[in-house]
Amino acid sequence: MPSYAYILVSLALFFLGTAGVLLRRNVLIVLMSVELQLAAGTLALLTFSRALGDQKGHVFAFFVMALAAAEAAVGLAIVVSVFRTRRTANLDEVNSLKG
Amino acid sequence: MNPAAHSTTVAETIAFAILSAGVLAGGLMTITRRNPVSAVMSLVLTFGALAGLFATLSAHFLAVLQILVYAGAIMVLFVFVVMMVNREESTPIARQGLVARAAGVLAAGYVFYRVAWLVGHERSMPLLAASATPPVKDFGTVSSVGTLLFSDFLFPFEAISLLLLVAVIGGVMLTRHVREDRSF
Repeated sequence: MPSYAYILVSLALFFLGTAGVLLRRNVLIVLMSVELQLAAGTLALLTFSRALGDQKGHVFAFFVMALAAAEAAVGLAIVVSVFRTRRTANLDEVNSLKG
Repeated sequence: MNPAAHSTTVAETIAFAILSAGVLAGGLMTITRRNPVSAVMSLVLTFGALAGLFATLSAHFLAVLQILVYAGAIMVLFVFVVMMVNREESTPIARQGLVARAAGVLAAGYVFYRVAWLVGHERSMPLLAASATPPVKDFGTVSSVGTLLFSDFLFPFEAISLLLLVAVIGGVMLTRHVREDRSF
């Protein structure tokens, strides 16, 4: 398939992730939407990597994957520790740092 | 040598259609499910189909890693946390501040629509029209990507391992129970 088809899929997936981050208030689903955005970025990296015949895009996709793993680990740890103290997973109820 | 000269076969088109439909349907279900467990399962579907798309891009190593790291490790982590924090929402989309957030989604949608229009309009430029496997030997295999990781990208590779170590220690520190009778 030509590269633009992959780029359109990547754009649509990134938009779905953005919509999830903006609309949902469950912190777990917001984290999953961030994972969707990172995956969309990986898809664009691999598409352009193939179009250019350069494997550096694969290396950066690998780094994005490691970054997503680190982000999920720390993000979920924060979710667990907030749930322990506040008994909630709703982002609107965790607002004590709001000015 | 024009990569755009490669014509797409029917089988490739069908595979791409099925996999991209899986990716987008899974993504849509992830952000609309009320129950977080269903959202995690939809996300597994998304990442599985995405690994298939990676394989069609001749990124074999990344396709396997996608299954192992995302559909395996990260999703198991999510399932564990959903198990601990399982509060089903009464309404998937809260009404409070909905107008501002919906305006944000519309603005983001317009930006993505314009970029998609641009990509569709410029689809004949060589970078966006390229559809052939690159004429590089062993493109996207474990050995060639691994060689690149351990030669040109050795320092970033070690830095990312340090990042993962920091994430592991941070995860343990954030979630461990501190007993009242201990000073540390």
